[in-house]
This record gives sequence, structure tokens and C-alpha cells, in this order.
Amino acid sequence: MSGRAADRRDVGRQRVSAVAAAVLLAFLVIVGQLWYLQVLEGGHFLDASDKNRIRIRPVAAPRGLLYDRHGVPLVDNRPAFTLSLIPRELPRDEQTRDAVLGRVAALLRIPYQELSEAIARVPADSFLPVRVRRGLSLEDMARIEEWKLELPGVIVEVEPQRTYPSSRFAAHLLGYVREASDEQLRHGRYRRGDMVGQTGLERLLDEYLRGRDGGERIEVDALGRPVRVIQHTDPHPGAQVVTTIDRRIQEAAEQAMEGRPGAVVVMDPRSGDVLAMVSTPAFDIDQFTGTIERSAWLRLVQDPDHPLLNRVIQSQYAPGSIFKIVVAAAGLQEGTLAPGDRVHCDGEFRLGTWTFKDWKEEGHGTVDTRGALAHSCNIFFYQAGLRIGGAAITRYARAFGFGQPTAIDLGSEKFGLVPGPRARRRGSSGWQAGDIVNMAIGQGQVLVTPIQVARFMSAVANGGVLWKPRLVQRVERADRALLWSDPGQVTGHVELAPAVWAFLRESLWAAVNDGGTGAGARIPGLDVAGKTGTAQTIAKSRADRGQDHAWFAAFAPARAPEVVVVVLVERGGKGGQVAAPVARKILNAIFFEKVAAVGLAG
Amino acid sequence: MIGIDRRLLLNVDWLLIGGAAGLALVSALTLANLHVGRAGGTVAPRQLVWAAVGLLAMVVVASVDYRRLVRAAPLLYGLGLAGLVAVLVAGRTVSGARRWLAVGPLTVQPSELFKLAFLLMVVWLLVARWAQPLTAGVLACLAPIVGVPFVLIIRQPDLGTALLLVPLTLALLVGAGVPWRRLAVLPALGVAAAPVAWLALKEYQRERILVFLDPVRDPLGSAYNVIQAKIAIGSGQLLGKGVAGATQSRLAFLPERHTDFIFAVFAEMWGFVGCLVLLAGYALLLLRGFDIAASARDPVGRLVALGATSLLAAQILINVGMVVGLLPVVGIPLPFMSYGGSSMLVSMMALGLLLSVRMRQFQ
Repeated sequence: MSGRAADRRDVGRQRVSAVAAAVLLAFLVIVGQLWYLQVLEGGHFLDASDKNRIRIRPVAAPRGLLYDRHGVPLVDNRPAFTLSLIPRELPRDEQTRDAVLGRVAALLRIPYQELSEAIARVPADSFLPVRVRRGLSLEDMARIEEWKLELPGVIVEVEPQRTYPSSRFAAHLLGYVREASDEQLRHGRYRRGDMVGQTGLERLLDEYLRGRDGGERIEVDALGRPVRVIQHTDPHPGAQVVTTIDRRIQEAAEQAMEGRPGAVVVMDPRSGDVLAMVSTPAFDIDQFTGTIERSAWLRLVQDPDHPLLNRVIQSQYAPGSIFKIVVAAAGLQEGTLAPGDRVHCDGEFRLGTWTFKDWKEEGHGTVDTRGALAHSCNIFFYQAGLRIGGAAITRYARAFGFGQPTAIDLGSEKFGLVPGPRARRRGSSGWQAGDIVNMAIGQGQVLVTPIQVARFMSAVANGGVLWKPRLVQRVERADRALLWSDPGQVTGHVELAPAVWAFLRESLWAAVNDGGTGAGARIPGLDVAGKTGTAQTIAKSRADRGQDHAWFAAFAPARAPEVVVVVLVERGGKGGQVAAPVARKILNAIFFEKVAAVGLAG
Repeated sequence: MIGIDRRLLLNVDWLLIGGAAGLALVSALTLANLHVGRAGGTVAPRQLVWAAVGLLAMVVVASVDYRRLVRAAPLLYGLGLAGLVAVLVAGRTVSGARRWLAVGPLTVQPSELFKLAFLLMVVWLLVARWAQPLTAGVLACLAPIVGVPFVLIIRQPDLGTALLLVPLTLALLVGAGVPWRRLAVLPALGVAAAPVAWLALKEYQRERILVFLDPVRDPLGSAYNVIQAKIAIGSGQLLGKGVAGATQSRLAFLPERHTDFIFAVFAEMWGFVGCLVLLAGYALLLLRGFDIAASARDPVGRLVALGATSLLAAQILINVGMVVGLLPVVGIPLPFMSYGGSSMLVSMMALGLLLSVRMRQFQ
């Protein structure tokens, strides 16, 4: 081999080594990158891979049920279909995604905007389902399932949803359940899409009723198809609530009020238990369980009849002649009025330059205290009131709980009003005779709520015990373990001589059964005692004139009262003509339809 | 049958054969844990069949004297070009690329087989008697030899294979002893050609390069592969997640996981340590190849061995480099590991060339 050839060979070897060196260098760079990815940043990428494969699917806890005092459910849950979108699984390409949303909108006949707005609120790579629309019909659900393959990221979830015996059943008492509002989300206690009790008992007891959502950690493949369940946490169903309501009485009371605006309270005077609570007009409570249309919501809020208002606790009215019981109690106890006091009523009463009229133009003739209560004679009470005095009347009114909230377990209760002596004219001390005269028949500035009247009437029936109105007996877990209970609470006591109590009860019995104003509530075979009231209102318009609020407050049986029924019909007219018959229907249902109902059930 | 000198058998390089067989086995084991294909089955058995066929092809290539192969290079190169043209005319299109040609029941990738013909052709030119010494004029003859197939392959389009011709040619020029200063001209030429090449690229190829430069450009689109591969590799950490825990791979987050991205699967399963072992295996194989080149008894053998080694090295480095996010994504399989018959066959045949040189080292 020549030297030159050997040289060439050496050069060749060097060149091969050069290439080999370059290759080895490249290997080192790759090893460096692997070190960075796997060792330095490995933990970060491990998290990312878990996030890739694990989805958390919430499983909604069924909301706890509310029962009446006999264990009859007031609400129930049923599986309902909810349309949800999973942002991450929607098509990535904007045009295709819009096409998918457009198709969903067309299939369900809902505004496209609703879908796009819901999606815009959450990050585009989120795996959590965004609940877009609740309460899909079976047909809607079928339509979506039919197109399933062309609708990636669109799912129909099954959630437990409230269902009610009838669409307006105890709407104000139960309250509605609705998706957490933006305001509630800001407080951080709820997650988007949570169903939250917004009013009534649903709101009061939300913490107990909501339960705890369960969830599933699901491993999915790249197409989002579930591969296996890694972890399953059962939802904890909400606690059940035993209320004091009697569903049968509640239904009877709602039926009796049908078509009349106003309020009914049925209370057990022996315990303060609220057996029924009705406010009319009511709203369609089941309208809220699905997705309520904005227009329907606005219609409710702007309705001049205020269907969302719970008139039992949130509306205050002049008590009218019902207040005469307070005046009589004050006078009799203080000795400024005697059962035998007589007044001749000719329909008019003059005080200085003022003339006060009786509701009965020709007058009642000569009446004693019993007759004045039974026939609701204004002239008698004008004079009695002046004798008794404003201070004593208001003192007794407060003792009977007027002017103070009843502390019933529902929020936003109105206080009512018992005026003070100087409430009217500044600078002059003491009671003005005109004010006293007005107050003596429950007009003027005195304001009461129906629930206050029920508490007051219960005290008359039970001999002076003021009960806090009780709505909830107990809250218990699904396994019956007691979580909370309300043993009942006495908030005050009115001390009157036994003879005075007996006299009042007898007079109220006479109002119904001895030719008094409450004759409309008379039921053969049942001793009903009661007092009518007609609260004058300021006419809203000419046509409206004379449409007074009609009151009737009753208890029965008169000798050993078991129930108090308070009826208020807004702008209904005279208490005796309008409210008393409503009370009669309710009392009739309570005492005489009970057997029939039990018989049917048996 | 091809007659084999008894002495040749004494010089059979068992390390090469064993290394290749070992890598093919690792490939089959990795593939056995991936459910791919329409029925969700595994392709591991098919890969083993291809490895066996490849080993046979390796023996066949090794038994032929490499000098005869180089002499036949113009013919092989011509056949290769014909194959590339045929694929453009009558090829089967799979996911937008026309790379496969149906031959009976099989589909072959002419561009894969062409790589070997190309390698022999360049060697043929560089060692041709008339071409010595290697002047600029001679080197200019290389331009059409590289350029024509480059354009044909890029038209398929198969950017990866086309680009592979560049480092291969470069390595052969270095090995042939072309002076460094003359080689220095080539990068300059490359820079000059870059804008032209950019315009010649398909839209998706440009997008891949842009995504490589800026991965968050489109996290659910083009960058998806890159991000998912990084997650797979990174989440393997030091020791790997094992076969069962390799969720990225098994749950199919990783696209092309049985072909171009198989390294990411391996990295997720076996971690940094496993990667080191695998890369060491490749490095060992390549170093043996360079050793064979360095100790070849003639320039022809040296260049053939260097070319075969460089071909494998370039594929390994570009594939792993792209999977670990160091290079833009171009479609290049990982020799011996990626699923695919053509790739396995060609990689084995490249080893066959090395064996051929090795066995005739002392002839």
C-alpha cells in the first residue's frame, strides 16, 4: 500500500470520527432535553397528564323533602333532564362549533344566544359541564339523543328536580328553588349551576335540604369517552323536614281562597303550629324548577297583583273591627268598661265638629258590650275607646303582639304598627280624641299582618299565651337522625282575669251564632267564635271606591279551641259577607271532611 | 443461491444483528400495550413479522459484495426514481399524503427504499474514477442527483424523508474527504435556498414549523401533537409510569403513538432511565457502524458504511429530536421502533450494508 493511500485512509478515518462526534453531540443534546422534561419538569407534566385523563362529573344530591305534620309529602323529586355543554369537547373550530350550537338551538327552539352566552362565561378548555337549560321535555331529550353523534360536547344530564302536588301549591310557604344567582355566586358558597332555595322554607332550610353532591372521577380517553370510574362518591341526600302544615287544610284553604287576592292563616292555638298559610294570588312554583324565561320572570315581578309577595307576613293592613277585641279586653281588665255598659247607637257619634258614623246607617239601637262586639257597633266603641284611653289600648295591643314581628321562621316579615300618643301632631303631648276614636275601631294608623292577627286570635282562644308561629317541627337525616327541632316557643303572656277571657270568647261566639256580623261562618254542629273586620282603604281610583279589605278571625270549637282561622280578602268588601264564608269553608273542611278523607284513604 | 465465502462468516457482526433484533423486540413489546387500529387490537405480531422479514433482507444484502451494489447504483437509483414517479401517479393517498404504492397485497413506500438506492448512488459518484479529485464541477453533478428525488418526495408530500437526503449527502461529502472550506459553502447555499423552500412548502408544513417556534399558537390544533408528546414524556419522570400507568399513550391522547411518536410512549412507560438505556442502545449500534466505516478496507466500503450509519443516525436524531420538542414535527419514523414494514425493512437493509462491509474488511 502506498504512503499516499495510507494518508488518504487516515483522512478518511478522521472524517468518520468527525461525523461520529457530531452524532454523539446531538445525542447529548437530546439527553439534556429529556432531563429537562422528565426530571426537572416531570411533576408538572404528570399533573398535566392527570388533567388530561381525569374528568370530574358531579352527581347532584337529591334535595331533601318537606312533609306535612302527618308525614304526607308537600314536595317530591323526580328525575329531570338538563341540557349541558362541555366546553372542551365542543368542536375546536369556531364555525363548526357555532353550527353545533345552532343545531341545538333549532332542535329545542331556544334562542341561540342563550347557548353562546353560557359558553362564553366559562373557559374554553373546561371539562365541567355547563348547565344551559333545565327541565327538558322527553321529546327534547329524544331529539338531542337522536343527533348525538353530530353534537359533540352536548350532553343531557339527569338531575333530581322538585315537583309539586299542584303548580301553585303552598307557593309562598315552600318557596321556589332556582339556580344560584350571580349575586349568590359572588358570596362564594355556591357553584355555578347549583340549585338554591330562594324563598320560603326552601331558603330558610337550604343548608339542610341541599345535601352534599357526590361525584365521579372518571378516566376518559382522548375522545372524552369514559374508560373507567376511578372513584365514586355517593351524593348525600338532603335532610327531610317535617313541617307543622296540614296538607289537607292547606289545600282546603287554597281552594276556599280561589280567585280572591288575600291571605289565610290556620293556626293551632295550643302550640302556635301553623297548619296552613295561603297568600293569593300565588305564582306557579313549578315554573321555576326548569329554566324560567326572562319574560315570564319580568311578568311576575311587574304584575300589579304582586304574586311573589307573601301577604301573610309581608303585607300590613288596618285590622278594622277585629281590633275591637283588644279595646274591649283593655277596658274590661282596667275597669273602664263593664260587660253591662249600654250605649244607644243611632248611627252617628259627634266629637267636637267631627261626626263619626257607624257602618250601619240606621244604628244598632241600644247595645251592651257583648252586643257591641257581636254586632261590631262602632258608636259603642268610639265612646268606650275615649273612656279607656289611648295609652291603655296601645299597651294591650302591644301585649297582644301587635307592632312586633312574630319571629316566624320566614324572612322579611313586616312589623305592623301600633301608634304612640304623639305620633300624629308634633308639639302637643297626649292622645288626640280623634285618633283614639279611629283606633278604637281599628282604623287610622294601626297596621297588622295576618300572621299577627293569627297569633293574637290564638291568645284570645288559649287564654293569653303568645306563641311564636311554628312552621318546622324537626329536620332529620335520611336515616331519621334528628338534626334540628323546634319545641315551640312562648314569646309573651297576656294577663287578663278569667272572667274577661270567658266574656270575650262568649261575645265572639255570639258574633257567629247569635245574630252577629259573623253569621256567615256559622256551621251547624260546631261552635265557631269569630270577629269580622272591614278595613277601609284609600281608594286607588273612583271605580275602586268602597272596596275595603275584608277580615274574619275565628277559632273553634269555642269552648276548647283547636284551630284559629284568619282570613283576609283584599278589597273584598265587608268582612262578614266575604271573609266569614271563606273561613266557614275552611273550618268545615277541617272538622267535617277529615273523616271522609280518612275513609277514602282507608 | 448467492455463494458465501466461509471466511466471511467468521466476521459476521453479531452485535449489529443482536442489537437490531433487540430493538425490534422492544418495539413489539411497546406496541403490544397500545390498542390501535380499527378493532382496537395490537399490531405487535405484525411488527415482529416485519422484523423477521427485515432480518432476512439484511442477510441477503450482507451476502452481496457492497462493491457490486455500488456498481449497480445507477440502475438501482433509476428504479428508485421510477418508483417515486409511480407513487405520484398511481400512489395511494393516506391522510393527505401520497406515499404508498400497492404491490399485490402489500403497500410499500418507495421513498423508504429509495433512500438506500440514493445512498449507493452518491457513493458511486464520489468514488468514480473520473470524478477524482473531487472538484467543484464534480460536486455540481450531485445537484441533480439530490435535487430531482428531493422535489419528487416533497411533492408527495413527505418533508421528512426529503430533508433526510440532506444530512446523508453531507455526511458522505465529509467522509469522502472534500475539503472543509469547500463544504463551508453548503450552509451558505442552504440559507439562500430557505425562502424558496418556504414557498414550496404546503400550508400545514409551514404551520408545523411556526408551531414549533411558538407552541401555544394553537393548543388544540397543530400544536396538539407536540404538547401531548411533551406531557407524555415529561410525566414519565425519572423511572416511568410502567405499562399500566402510561395513560397518555394507552388512552390515546398521543397521536401517531405507534408510528412517529412511539418514543414518547416508551418515555412515558420507562422514564428518563429507560430513555437513557434505549438511546445508549442506539448509540452503541451507531458507534459500531462508524467503527466499521473507519476500519473499512477501501474508500467504497468506508463511504457505504458511513452512509448507512449516517442514514440511521439522522433518522434517529430527527425523530427523537422532534418528539422531545427540539425540532419541528416532520414525518420520520424511528428506526426499528416505529410500526411500519417499509421502515423496518430499510433499517435492516442498512445494517445489511454495514455487515457486508464488515465481513469483507480483511478480504
